[in-house]
Amino acid sequence: MAHILDDYAVLSPLRYKNNWLKIAIVTFGLLAGVSSNSPLVPFLIAICMSFATLYFAKVPASFYFRILAAPAGFVIVSVVIIAFFFGEGAKLFSFDVFGLTLGVSKAGLDMALLVFARTLGGMSCLFFLSLTTPMIELFSVLKATKLPDSFLEIAMMMYRYIFVFLDVAVGVKYAQSVRLGYKDFKTSFRSMVMLGTNLFIRSWEQGEKIYVSMNARCYDGKLILLDDKRPVEMPELMLTLAYFALVVLTFYFTRTVSVL
Amino acid sequence: MHVFEGFLPSPWWQLWFVFSIPVILYGMYKLNKLVSERREVVPLLAVAGAFIFVLSSLKLPSVTGSSSHPTGTGMAAILFGPAITAVLGVIVLLYQALFLAHGGITTLGANTASMAIIGPLVAYLFYRAAAKSGMNFYLNVFLATAIADWVTYVVTSAQLALAFPSAEGGILGSFTAFATVFATTQVPLAIMEGALTALIMKYVVQIKSDVLVDLDVLTTSAVTKLKEAME
Repeated sequence: MAHILDDYAVLSPLRYKNNWLKIAIVTFGLLAGVSSNSPLVPFLIAICMSFATLYFAKVPASFYFRILAAPAGFVIVSVVIIAFFFGEGAKLFSFDVFGLTLGVSKAGLDMALLVFARTLGGMSCLFFLSLTTPMIELFSVLKATKLPDSFLEIAMMMYRYIFVFLDVAVGVKYAQSVRLGYKDFKTSFRSMVMLGTNLFIRSWEQGEKIYVSMNARCYDGKLILLDDKRPVEMPELMLTLAYFALVVLTFYFTRTVSVL
Repeated sequence: MHVFEGFLPSPWWQLWFVFSIPVILYGMYKLNKLVSERREVVPLLAVAGAFIFVLSSLKLPSVTGSSSHPTGTGMAAILFGPAITAVLGVIVLLYQALFLAHGGITTLGANTASMAIIGPLVAYLFYRAAAKSGMNFYLNVFLATAIADWVTYVVTSAQLALAFPSAEGGILGSFTAFATVFATTQVPLAIMEGALTALIMKYVVQIKSDVLVDLDVLTTSAVTKLKEAME
């Protein structure tokens, strides 16, 4: 079963910091990373955000690097394809496969490096948000937007039931595997079908039950959410501004570095 | 397959948002209408979304040993129709990005387009057309979800190809490269997901067929026929 990053967020020392500040930091990093022309900017963002996640949010380093490697499969394959097929000009090296000449050009290699850096920078920003801010905190931010109530309500109830069903799924899977339900391909397929069906039927019945129980408690189509005020503290603000300034300066000085 | 954060360069990630946002707004409009008519669907849709999330976080048994997960959205499209599935899909994708580190925020538009809009739409259209022509229900579900799964990968390959055109072959050249790697390796997985969904449906018909009638997936007479065939 996959790691739920939310578990770390709930216990995070940064949990009760201002949500808008955290979102501003992450949005800034994502946008700066994706629009930069030099791999230096995303690398810098990756270093800063990883430092913040490991040092301020006290996420165990071994866990952090393991989840950072999660996109590795997809990224490595795609980056290799980009390196081989993107860009023209002199090939740095090339070889023949079945009469086809495959080569890596300077432009292709630069592009591949840039895409790799952007993904690394982007993922570290995303991890900072998801490892320090539980979804409950983000709901109050979403409430402030103009999204329809029914959408937010479904999102909130879905959040709750993800954990309920994950528990059921983990339990059933455990019970199946101790009965050798995953001993070979055929049995694991059969077990998986039974798990899926059971989950579907259980979730359906659960949905009917919640409606009845919510109705009994005067549910009128609105879930009210209260959030408390959390002012931004001076040291946090200074640190954030210093980070912004550093990234903007790097962005400015590397803007002419054309890797394309 | 999720495109990870930061992977798509500047004009492309915005363009995929431009593509996805109107569809999602339309889905929300449909959802609002449905909710104002039948309030009891809110919890049902919420648990359906949670079900998609949990299903997509389970590992499929695979022959090659590569890790792979079902998308679950093909099944949702057959059950709830493409508009509602698109809305549920966006929430699931957002949660996957935040909880499981699959996907990303800037690439949310592109992932929504491939996994929550185009794939489910294909599944839904195929299912409806084949149901009209009188195809066997299980075969229909199998084909609809398998094709939807595979189409999702083709769309992702196209998204990557558009963003990174090849020097010699242009967009078509790099599409061939991405599709060879991603779309062909996904054929067995698409078949697995189709088989899984079809068998889940078989049990649902057996145990709780009234759900399928409620959702307008099958008519009462079709359910009776399927049940008779089982005995």
